[in-house]
Amino acid sequence: MKEQLISKSRLREIKKSLDPLIAFQYIFSYFYLFLFLLLPIATIIQQAFLYNGAFSLHWFQKVFSDPDFFSLSPRGGMFFELHGDTMYIWGIDHGYILNSLMVAATVTISASIIGVIAALIIARYDFPGKNVFRILILIPMLATPFVNAYVIGKFFQPRGGLLNFIFYDVLHILPWRIDVNGLAGIALAQTLAFYPIVYLNVLASLMTMDPTMEEQAESLGAGGLKLFRTITLPLSMPGLAAGATIVFIFSLEDLGAPIGFIGYSGNPLARRVMSVYVFDDFAAAVTGAISPITSAIAVILVTFAVTGFLAIKKYVTLKTYATLSKGGRWKPRTRKLGFKGTALVYPFFILLILSASIPQIGVVILALTDWAISGLAPKSITFEYISRLFTDPNVVRAISNSLLYSGAAVLLAVILGSCSTYVIARSKLPGTDALDSLLTMPIAVPGIVVAVGYFLFFTGFFRGTILDPLVDPALLLIFAYSVRRLPFTARSVFAGLQGVHESLEEVATTLGATRFKSFFDIVIPLIVANVIGGGILTFVYSMSEVSTSVTLGALREDRGPITFYISQVIYGTAAVGTVSVAAALCLLLITVQVIALAVSNYILKQRVAFLGI
Amino acid sequence: MVKVSLRNITKRFGKVVAADHITLDIQDGEFFTFLGPSGCGKTTTLRLIAGLEIPDEGRVYFDDVDVTDWPSYKRGVGMVFQNYALWPHMTVFDNVAYGLKIRKVPQSEIKSRVKEVLELVRLEGLEDRYPHQLSGGQQQRVALARALVVEPKLLLLDEPLSNLDAKLRIEMREELKELQKRLGITTIYVTHDQEEAMVLSDRIAIMNNGRVEQVGTPQEVYRRPSNLFVATFIGRTSVLEGVVTAIGDFVEVKIGDIKVKGLAINEVSVGDKVYVVLRPHDFSVRKEEEEVNMLEGVVEWMAFTGGLLEARIGISGGKILVTLDDEVPASMGKKLRVFVPWRNVIILKA
Repeated sequence: MKEQLISKSRLREIKKSLDPLIAFQYIFSYFYLFLFLLLPIATIIQQAFLYNGAFSLHWFQKVFSDPDFFSLSPRGGMFFELHGDTMYIWGIDHGYILNSLMVAATVTISASIIGVIAALIIARYDFPGKNVFRILILIPMLATPFVNAYVIGKFFQPRGGLLNFIFYDVLHILPWRIDVNGLAGIALAQTLAFYPIVYLNVLASLMTMDPTMEEQAESLGAGGLKLFRTITLPLSMPGLAAGATIVFIFSLEDLGAPIGFIGYSGNPLARRVMSVYVFDDFAAAVTGAISPITSAIAVILVTFAVTGFLAIKKYVTLKTYATLSKGGRWKPRTRKLGFKGTALVYPFFILLILSASIPQIGVVILALTDWAISGLAPKSITFEYISRLFTDPNVVRAISNSLLYSGAAVLLAVILGSCSTYVIARSKLPGTDALDSLLTMPIAVPGIVVAVGYFLFFTGFFRGTILDPLVDPALLLIFAYSVRRLPFTARSVFAGLQGVHESLEEVATTLGATRFKSFFDIVIPLIVANVIGGGILTFVYSMSEVSTSVTLGALREDRGPITFYISQVIYGTAAVGTVSVAAALCLLLITVQVIALAVSNYILKQRVAFLGI
Repeated sequence: MVKVSLRNITKRFGKVVAADHITLDIQDGEFFTFLGPSGCGKTTTLRLIAGLEIPDEGRVYFDDVDVTDWPSYKRGVGMVFQNYALWPHMTVFDNVAYGLKIRKVPQSEIKSRVKEVLELVRLEGLEDRYPHQLSGGQQQRVALARALVVEPKLLLLDEPLSNLDAKLRIEMREELKELQKRLGITTIYVTHDQEEAMVLSDRIAIMNNGRVEQVGTPQEVYRRPSNLFVATFIGRTSVLEGVVTAIGDFVEVKIGDIKVKGLAINEVSVGDKVYVVLRPHDFSVRKEEEEVNMLEGVVEWMAFTGGLLEARIGISGGKILVTLDDEVPASMGKKLRVFVPWRNVIILKA
């Protein structure tokens, strides 16, 4: 009886929530996310588990019994092997699956260590120049898809590489030339690119931590390492867990580093990761089919990624994020660093920032000089490559494609983000928690999986239509961007909604405004800065999106966006173009990114902008 | 104006019952207050009347019309929120004019009506300011003007004075009372401040844990509280426990070694356990009339509070708090004898 009463009142609650606006927003959000996120992934899963028309583990058995994919015994490679005067650090091949996992684990651990140390120093100590380091440490976040690994390869090249030249040939510090390439090269490039993710998340945790937590422990006699181990680290665990997991997922799905190394040196070990396997198979997809083995690999990728995501879900949902991003309620504890401390901190940061910025520095040099063809060091400055951005018809087309796709994706992400977050923030409908998860989940779904899913789903169910990527991938790229970069907009808008007290809308309804009217009169004007801020981030990260761009985008060359063009250059298959044009394109991406972040940080005052991923 | 009737209204939030079978009538033109501690359900009840929440059970009537399922925007009430809920992106004028624009009132009439209502709340000349450029008291008045300008049948006020400093609060309270009487608008007020409730209201509903404990005029709830919660929530009290020994015009109660006469609120019979509720201000040191109780004990604690002396006296059967003239010769550890008229002694069944 009681049970029934409660469910009856729940029904009335739902009925009340379902005014036309909320109903539309709710249905639209779920429809969009089902069509452009869940159903494509479901199609992959279906193909992977289907054999001769029945459910089967056939493809997985095939994958795990093939040493090419999964081998506990080493299948070649060189790891700290000395041949002649060169030390080869390439990594050992254990098949695609284990290789990917080993690289991802290595990157996660090393990025975590670097990120935690950097965050601790920045959050807890004061020293001259701290604010400069604070900004410079984020340089690796600037997008240099593919070119980053190319540049690292160029630096580490045993003969003619700048590092080996300086430290072996000139300074004689190194006993041998060092060749970092293959799996080890990928791990190095990814660590340097991804540690800021851990750094930012841990820093956010440390900054929002109530300083009395540590002060209380200190007053009870805990100090130094003990304090760190018992109080500081456990309390910054949410940030560390979220950051580390995201790094793990990013490493698994990354195409930029492997393709960069393949492009630079053709190193066979750089091919031996899951993401490249899927990518290579995709290249054959123009003929109209993707092998079930690729689907099985995609399922494995998405399983790892989604498991990781579920583990950290409670740290990355919109609700958590909104509280985290407020921050600054108290002045964080900092202490002045003495001379000895400063003498330790400076070399750490300088070394870290210098090595992590190699790709960005390299991009600038490549784009503005003749370094690509001059050998060891650049000989002259040239604007030829920059001017190609405006004159080369293929480059211009790639740029305008990217602008068009990203712009349209932002529009969709803004509508979807506003609708869905409003439902989550204001209604008591069932399924709002699931919607919250769905909005954040694209962080965890590897782009390459999205690409495979879109291909299977839309060639399967929309064959020959405008949504068929074999007919035209442009629309699908827009949808892919809008979903993949949705979390940026959703988080920002949700944070804005948290700041709009519900009473502001309620008072409008008591004055006679419907929910629809109060949404546009009251809510939208108050969150417009958040909408723009989130939209800017979505735009920036859509422009530099790699995974779907180089796969779906490859299905019709005239529809390829910027990153597709860069990958073609680096991969060595573009008809015309040199790596310097790719670098010039990266420079363009970096410029867009810097301007956008500056706008959202300084003009819109969105602290959210840089926070996390 | 309108008469509001609640019939068996119940609202639960998960396991918490915010409104528990509330039935009461608020008369046309009445200033009615829901008073209670935080979390007692008074704001929820107000929101149920506004249509911002829908009840799990029960009905809401405006002038005998069932409005339970009407959405808020159709009910025609004016509401002032605790945080004022002024829209930060609109000027004072736009805030106040909003309800009129929704009602498609012609532009020229909007202008004159906004002007009028701003004069009413003494804010003329501030039309172009933004909320953040106003003081707390001014913001409160904008919120009030915004609610009043649409000429609502019913005015709902949710702790509108609680964010103001003490002095301004008293000023605004007088203004509000005066305005309400002038407009004759049915007003429902929510507060946790019993003094505010006393000063403003025609009638008060005292709420606790979602239930209405008592409805009555300020005098009734103060002098004739229907239970211990109301007795202790309204005004300061000392509560002693005793047993009824005799019943006549008054009820006689034995507390420890002494006997006290008082007025029983509920039916009691000899031998019943009862609470004896005493208010500090009812005590004096002089015996002024015949029917008084005399209590004597040692002063355990005392303090001067400017013109008045507060003291705690340990008597047989408990401790009592008394407020006396500060010229009374009392000192710590010394005996003191105080008197209280029996009509002011409240006796409640335990």
